[in-house]
Amino acid sequence: MTRRVVITGLGIVSPVGKSPGEFFGNLMSGHSGIKHLQTDFIDQLSIRIGAPVDNFNPGEYFSKIQLSGIERFSQFALVAAAQAVQDAQLELSEAEHPRAGVYMGSCLGGAGTLEDGYIEVFKRDSPRIKPLSVLLSMNNAAASHLSIKYRLQGQNITYATACSSSAIAVGEAYRQIKHGYADVMLAGGAEAMLTLGAMKAWEALRTLALEDPHDAGASCKPFSKNRSGLVLGEGAAVLVLEDAERALKRGAKIYAELAGYDCSSDSSHITKPDAAGQTRTIINALRDARLRPQDIHYINAHGTATLAGDIEETKAIKQAFGAHAIDVPVSSTKSMHGHLMGATGAVEFMAAVLALHHNAIPPTINLHEPDPECDLDYVPNQGQSDVKLDAVMSNSFAFGGSNAVLIAKRHIS
Amino acid sequence: MSSLQTIQRMMVDQFDLKLEDLKPDAQLESLGLDSLSVIEFMFNLEDELKIKLPDERVEIKTIQDVADIVDKIVAEQKGSPQ
Repeated sequence: MTRRVVITGLGIVSPVGKSPGEFFGNLMSGHSGIKHLQTDFIDQLSIRIGAPVDNFNPGEYFSKIQLSGIERFSQFALVAAAQAVQDAQLELSEAEHPRAGVYMGSCLGGAGTLEDGYIEVFKRDSPRIKPLSVLLSMNNAAASHLSIKYRLQGQNITYATACSSSAIAVGEAYRQIKHGYADVMLAGGAEAMLTLGAMKAWEALRTLALEDPHDAGASCKPFSKNRSGLVLGEGAAVLVLEDAERALKRGAKIYAELAGYDCSSDSSHITKPDAAGQTRTIINALRDARLRPQDIHYINAHGTATLAGDIEETKAIKQAFGAHAIDVPVSSTKSMHGHLMGATGAVEFMAAVLALHHNAIPPTINLHEPDPECDLDYVPNQGQSDVKLDAVMSNSFAFGGSNAVLIAKRHIS
Repeated sequence: MSSLQTIQRMMVDQFDLKLEDLKPDAQLESLGLDSLSVIEFMFNLEDELKIKLPDERVEIKTIQDVADIVDKIVAEQKGSPQ
């Protein structure tokens, strides 16, 4: 017998907001967090735009002693988790700590520390690097800090599946509760890879968006005829997932029920996405949620604005939804917050959950001339308020062919 | 000359500690510094004072312990032939 899983707390640090309210408000108003980067290595970049978390002062949240052991991506994760735990009014009894875990996603972990270390050794010929470099940079640092801070003594896993990392972290956390391995899970992702090395690597792959000549904020153009690729961002999102019975018993506020999830592999190509693989994942997630395509009232797309990606995702939605594809609003909020890599799955699922919660659909901005091959309703430029949403879907389709789809629905006990 | 004052100043800067709490017999642990913070601090001391601390583990419990190790190394390095 399986259990129902609900979402009771949200926390986020993102390029368009450092709280769920600010984040969703900015999405609805079409506010872009993509900009010309202010860094000391800007001259070494060919593509100089990104979606940074501006005005993040670690000293507001951590002491200097703490900061010596907590890297930027972990800082984001801890701040987001604190919001989520507070939002959920989460308290664990002694007996519950071993039944509570944390699953996070991250691609590069402590990228900044890694880079500092390489500079010290290879550029400055230094005989040693920062002593805590391993602990700062390891991919599981964020999850470990969460586990320590909240005494989450259950499962503690960090997923590295490229762009689907945190969607998979959330989905696997849902499965842990659904199948009785845990009662409470913190799940999400964190990424802080706006470093010189990481950005040069992405530049070399020729998949980054060219800067819009008139407005840097308009550079990410999902589904648009003149789209040119993705924009790198940073941030973290953490959700509190709970066994529904536990949540109801304590009178918790419930945002939504996490109703369905699937992950799978294209097994096709290391970068080129495959509609067939994505379709399979969408259909399986619907089956897991026991919902039909027409029950989904909004899809938060993966929508990276790459040439191939947007077309394949459009095909996949059409194949999975059939005649209903044209009726479901689909938007890519990456047009505003950028691609947060290991954190993006959780960030976008949170956008979908907030859409459900507020009965409002955020737009795909910068969509003035759609690609003829992308002909669904992408909610161009203007969000939709006062809609009635009962179930929402969030897609994450990653390099390596890793696909993840999450479905949330209005909770009815 | 004792490195105590340099050590105290660096601790104020690096850890936001209060000078009045940094008495020579103050226990590092009670100041909120765990073993990792101490390792990090010793490395910064090496950079600041241009010394090389010994690789072998030495018991460091108080601020005076830190000063003693540093003073010993500084004296040795001054006395060693060029």
